[in-house]
Order: sequence, then structure tokens, then C-alpha cells
Amino acid sequence: MKNFKSIQFIITTSFILITVASVFIVSFMLYNKFSSTAEKNADLNIQQVVEQVNYNLEIYVKNMTSIFEVAQDLIHKSPTVSNPILVEQLKSIMKTREDLISIALFTKQGDLVFNIPELPMRKNTRLERQSWFESAVERPDTLSFSPPHIQNLFKNSYKWAVSISRQAAYREGASFPEGVLVVDMNFKTIDELSKQVVFGKKGYIYIIDSFGNIVYHPQQQLIHAGLKYEDLERVLTYSFGSFQDDSNGESKLITIKTVDPIGWKVVGVAYKDEILTTKTELNTFIFWFLVIIILFVLLLSIVVSARISLPIQNLAKSVKSVGEGDFKVPITRNGIYEVDQLSSRFNMMLRQIRQLMDQIIVEQEAKRKSELDVLQAQINPHFLYNTLNSVIRLAERGETEEVVTAITSLSRFFRISLSKGKNIISVEEEIEHVRHYLIIQKIRYKRKFQYVIDIEDEVLEYVTMKLILQPLVENAIVHGIEMMPEEGMIRIYVGIVDDKLMFQISDNGLGMSPQVLQRILTRDSKSEDGSGVGVKNVHQRIQLYFGHAYGLQFESELEEGTTVRIWLPLVRQAKEGE
Amino acid sequence: MRRMNLVLLLILTLGFSMSSCSVQTGMMSIHTREIDLIVKMNQGDYWNTLKMGAEVAAKEFNVKLNFLASDHEDDITGQIELVNQSIHNRPDAIILAASDYMGLAQVTDRVAYDNIPVISIDSEVGSARVKTYVGTNNYEAGQLAAERMVQLIEGKGQIAVMNFVQAARNANQREEGFLDYVARYPDIKVVDIQYSQSNQRYAEELTRSWLVQYPNLAGIVALNAESSIGVGREVQRSGKGGKVNVIAFDSPPETMEFLQEGIVQALVLQNPFNNGYLAVQYAVEIIEGHKVPDRIDTGIKLIDLDNMLWPENQKLLFPFVK
Repeated sequence: MKNFKSIQFIITTSFILITVASVFIVSFMLYNKFSSTAEKNADLNIQQVVEQVNYNLEIYVKNMTSIFEVAQDLIHKSPTVSNPILVEQLKSIMKTREDLISIALFTKQGDLVFNIPELPMRKNTRLERQSWFESAVERPDTLSFSPPHIQNLFKNSYKWAVSISRQAAYREGASFPEGVLVVDMNFKTIDELSKQVVFGKKGYIYIIDSFGNIVYHPQQQLIHAGLKYEDLERVLTYSFGSFQDDSNGESKLITIKTVDPIGWKVVGVAYKDEILTTKTELNTFIFWFLVIIILFVLLLSIVVSARISLPIQNLAKSVKSVGEGDFKVPITRNGIYEVDQLSSRFNMMLRQIRQLMDQIIVEQEAKRKSELDVLQAQINPHFLYNTLNSVIRLAERGETEEVVTAITSLSRFFRISLSKGKNIISVEEEIEHVRHYLIIQKIRYKRKFQYVIDIEDEVLEYVTMKLILQPLVENAIVHGIEMMPEEGMIRIYVGIVDDKLMFQISDNGLGMSPQVLQRILTRDSKSEDGSGVGVKNVHQRIQLYFGHAYGLQFESELEEGTTVRIWLPLVRQAKEGE
Repeated sequence: MRRMNLVLLLILTLGFSMSSCSVQTGMMSIHTREIDLIVKMNQGDYWNTLKMGAEVAAKEFNVKLNFLASDHEDDITGQIELVNQSIHNRPDAIILAASDYMGLAQVTDRVAYDNIPVISIDSEVGSARVKTYVGTNNYEAGQLAAERMVQLIEGKGQIAVMNFVQAARNANQREEGFLDYVARYPDIKVVDIQYSQSNQRYAEELTRSWLVQYPNLAGIVALNAESSIGVGREVQRSGKGGKVNVIAFDSPPETMEFLQEGIVQALVLQNPFNNGYLAVQYAVEIIEGHKVPDRIDTGIKLIDLDNMLWPENQKLLFPFVK
């Protein structure tokens, strides 16, 4: 689990966290907003429906009232109650209305005057005690709507009815007595008005009269049978408005409107869980919205973080392999700009390292080679052979003094050549070495040349690389002076110029053409006679040891001679015994 | 990368499991149950009202209700055959109004043996395997009728009892309740007990012969709806209305008319609508594995001219508004 710190993980988790948090907050706010709007709309909708039913009911009540008034008017105008015209008129009213059961006129004592349709009265109707009769007698001028009751007056089937009643005057011969006119209506129209109203699957409306008797209820049988209840007490305290009913474990919205003028109440019952389907729909929507967003963000963040971190991971992998020593494979460049730049710079660096390493290898090889050359040169058999030949000739001629000089110089020469295997010797020793060489060569070449060695005192405390002067002197003799008709001159000067140690070997020999001069430091020449070390070798050795600031410098002119300068750093002689 | 995929998988499975949960709960409510309602007779107001009650409950509780009954209430073998058929159909529950207490006992045991819950309605059956009984306390109903009869005839005189089916449990219990009550009055003599087989015609004939045989008959009690109508018709025809006190059972419109005309002095009102409704409701509860009470008494009321128009009685007498 160390990868918890990886870029990919950080990006992915922060992406998800931020998105989920913001989506949560936004959804929460939207949900609240939407659900409160939905609730408001649902409430409004229910109120409107209830109002509509209420309005229709008011119109219906008005219609019934006007029918009653028409009937009353007809009876009032009719000469007798048994007048066939009146009967005909009332019958035609009955015919046009399916919701009318009967029209009947009673005396105030409860005796039947007439009824339409003309059915025989039942016995024991006890109509004087029925509410419609009582209220007509008590309040003669008020049209009263009775609570729903069983119409038991006439020999017909027992029917539930609402009785509309009022006192009405009718003619009886000369007198003009008051009676009770009653129009019974059934619930057909009211049912039709209310039946279609549904709120959701379970919601409904019901209608009660001002005393809480149920006029219409979709489950009226169950209410009558006492199997279902409505909380009428609370409803009756409202004339309009709505409240929430949480009894029976279900949250219901009860909306109430009162029918003017009869005081009935239209009650809408809507189940909260149903009217707020938008809320549950919203819930599921938001749930899936969240799931999809999270999935989307997850995928996106995986892709994005992969795009960012993969190049970095690759880079890290490459760097790791470089760290393990593999410089050869360059980093594949891909992905984002920054990483690309990084890779390119890294590749550049890698290339340089590789070059440097190659260079080191080459240099090491050259160094080894030149050292080997020097090692060989320390005992150059050719030179020894030539010198010894010269000595033999001197001895034959009996020039003893010369022989001694030659042998001594040879001995000195070889001693310094070997110099205990050291590479670095003092300037003095190097000068000594070349001096002995010159002595030997002078003997060999029968004084064909003269030489001068001029040393500044201050250089004596410095050291030099060994066997650097001899090859150049050899070069001057072989190429410069040997072919000369007159006597040659070799000057050696050692001094300090520009904080560098400088050896200068100049001859007055043939000189070199510029072409030769150009190649002199690259040509792989090998001296036959002497150290066996070429000019190039000297130059290489110096540069390998001390760098490119040092080395050989040639100046030459044909027929004038050549000057070679050897530049070396100033390195003080170490103390003896080190 | 792999870890991310894991997280992805987790979220996906979470989502799917949640959605599958909601699907499962949805399935539950779609399931429809089948209940067979086997009653004594396929006609008569009492049975029609009971059937309507059952149908209302069936609609409410998402039940497919099969109403089964023979043509005659005394057709015991017919009813046994219906129960056998019902066992064959394997409904989720059977509601049975047994025409014969012992006659239906064996077949009821078989129903229970086949793991179909049985609910008794209206009249009990002689089986211990019945889950519950929904209906009238018939013994009390008999006593209620007797109490009023004693009042009407002022504690003395001849009484005839018009029962309906001899072996039906409710018939026996009503009769027993009635006889137990009047037995306390030495001046009251029960002159005859007859069985109409729930046939109105036959009840009329029996009544006619009583009126001839016992000219001083003070009262007749009819122990079910059909018997009541038969007795009422014959008393009305004979013109002895008011002289012979009649206590009826149940409230078909005809009986109500007799009550208003003064032929029937009082009637014992059962609650057939509730019987039907509650039987189905409790059957559903039993199917769902809920515990239900052993007996559900749907109540009785004595209705006479004085209280027939009380609002609460109107609602019981005429449960249907249309």
C-alpha cells in the first residue's frame, strides 16, 4: 500500500472526493428545492381539485334548490293539489331528473297530501320525527337539506336519500294551509361528481354533511359496516383548509372545503407517499445520477491520472535503470509537455554521460598504450645497438676518451629512462637525460651539430613528464639536421612562460612544410633511434595527464628551421622520501 | 490501476444489489392470492351481502375470490363435493360456511391435511383444524330473540320455532339459545320446532299449518332470513299480523317491510357484510403467517320499529347506498 502516495491515487481520490462532495451538495440542494416545490404543487393541485368538486356541488345544490322552488311555485299556483296539470308538470320534472326519488307534500301533522310518483304510503313511517320534517316545521322559511337517510315513506325499495324540505302553502278549496314539501334525491349525481376524483392510487374525496354524516364516500359500505373510519371530529373543526393526518401509520393530507350554503364539506384525502411520487422519483433519479457521475468521474480520473502518471512512472523506471547502470537505452518520449521536456533533458544528459564515458574509455586506452610505449622505450634495443656500434667504432679507433664519454652517457641515459618506473621526474633529470642523448648522438653523428641548453634556475624545483624532450630532439636531428649540408644547431630552453612550464627545442634545420606541420601531431611515427617514442605520443601523453591546455606547439619554416614548445603545468617537486 | 478497478466493481455491485432489492419488493405486491369462499346457498340477501363484503375485501387485499355454493341450503353432499373440488384447485385458503356441523367435519380435516388454511364463517364446523371463526355468536342471537319474544308475549303463551337446517351449527346454537332462555318462563310453551331447509315456500306451508293447528299461537321465531320471509308472508296472508308476534332474523327488504307493516315485531340483525369482509381479511393475514384470534364476533343487534331509523342502524340495515 505504499502507492497511497502515488500521483495516480492522489489524483483519483481527490477527483472523486471533490466531485462526489459537490454532486452531493448540489443534489441535496436540488432535491430540497424540487421536493418542496413538488409538495407545494401537489398541495395546490389537491386544493384545486377539491375546490372544483366543491364548486360543482354548489352548482348542483343550486340546481336542486331551483327545482324545489319550481315545484313549490307550481303547487302554490295550482288551483288544487289534485289538479292533473300540476301532477303532469311535477311528473315531467321527475322524468328529466334521474337523481330525484320523489316529491311529496305533507300536512304539518304529517298526513300525506299528495306524492309523485303516486305510491302507497307505508305504515309506521314515523316521519314527524324525521329531521327533514322537523326542520321544515321549526324553520318554515329555510330550505333544509337533511342528512343522508333511508327513505321509508312509500312502498318502494328502501333507498338512501337526501331530503330537501321547506314549508309550502297549497290551495285546499278556499283555505290556503301550510304544508311540508319534501323532495328526495338520491346520490347519483353526487357520486358521479366525486367518483372520478382520485389522488394517486389510494387518494380520494368524500363528502359529509354539517353533522359529520357521510354523504359520499368511495368505501361507504365499509364505513357503514364500521370497518373503516374517517377522523371526522377533526375535519368538522375546519370550514376550509388542510392538515396532515399521521394516524394509522400513514401520512395523509386532508383538504377541506365547505359547500355553500348547506354546510356540507368536501374532504380530499391524499396519501403523502403517493402525491409525492415526484419525490421518490427524484430520489431514484438522484441516486442513479450519483452512481453514474461517480462511475464517470472514476473512469475519467483513472484515465487522466494514468495519462499524467504513466509518463512519470516510465521516466522513473528509466531513471531507475540508468541508476542500475544502463546508459544505452534512451527514454521514450511521450505524454505531457513537462514530462516530455524532462525526458528530453534527461536523454541529453544521458547522451553526454555516454559520450564522456566513451571518451574516458578511449583516453584510458590511449594512456595505457602510451605508457606501454614509454615502458618499451625505456629499453630501446635499436638505440642501444646503434650506440654500441658507435662505441665499438670509437674503440677500434682507439678514442678511449670518447668511448668513456659515450658509455657513461649511455648508462646515464638508460638510468634516467628507467628512473625506477616513475612517470614523473624532475626537470633537472629530464634535461640530464636529453643532454646525455645529445652527447651520444653528437658522437654518432660526428659533431654534425652543436647544441645549447639554457635553463632558468627557477624551473629546477618543478617536475615534468619523463621522455618528452628526447623524442623531439631526435626528431630535430633526424628530420632537421641530418640532411643539412652545414653544421646544425639545436637550442634547448626551459623556462616559465605565462605560469606554465615551457620547454623549447629549436633547430636551424630543413624545417617543415605547412602540410607536414599539420600532420605532425596526428601522424603515427615512431622513432627508430632513441626512446622509440613518437612526437605524437609525447603530445598525447601530456594531454592525457594534464589536459588539453598543455601539449606541443610547432613553429616551422622551410630552410629556416623548426621550433617546438612543450607546455606543461607548474607542478612542484615532491619532497624526497615520499 | 487494479485497485481502481476493484473500487469500480464495488460501486457497481452496490448499485446493482440496491436496484435488485427494489425489484424484489416490487414483486411482492404483484402476487395475487386465491381464496375459495364456500357458503350454504347461492341465493338470498344474507349470502349476497356476505359475498359483497368478501368481494370488497378481495379487491382491497388483491385476492382472487371464488364464490361457491349449492342451490339449496340442505344440500350437504353438494357442499362436501364443492369442498373436494376446492381442495383439488388448491387455493391459498378456504372460507367455509358449513351447512352441516358434523357432515362437513371430515372434509374440513382433509382441507387442513392438504395444508390449505380453513376459516369458518357464519356457522362453525366440527373440526379442530379450523384457523378461526368469523360470524355471529349464534347462541346469544337466539337468546336475544327469546328475550324480546318473552317481552312481546308478556311471559306467557305458545311459541313455535322456525329453524332452517337441522344439522347446521348456527341453527342449533340459535335454537339452543332461544330455548334455554324461554325455559325460564314456565308459562311459555314451545309447541313445535320445524326446519324450513331455508326454503321460503316450505316455511310458508309450515306456518300455515301452525296457524291452523295452534289458533292461540302467541309468537313465532324464525331463525334465518329465508324462514323469516316465509313466516312473514304467511302471517300477513292470514291477517294475523300483530296478533302473532314474529321475531325474524336478518334484514332483507321484504323483512324490513314486514317490520314496518307490523307483521314482524323485531328482527335479529347479523352483520353479513362484515362476516364476508373480515373472513377474507383474516384469511389473507393467515396466508401471510400472522396470528389471528380464534373467534371474531361480528355482533348482533335487535331491530324494531323504534330504532330502525336510528342513523347507526340504518347504516347496518342498508349497507349499500346504491
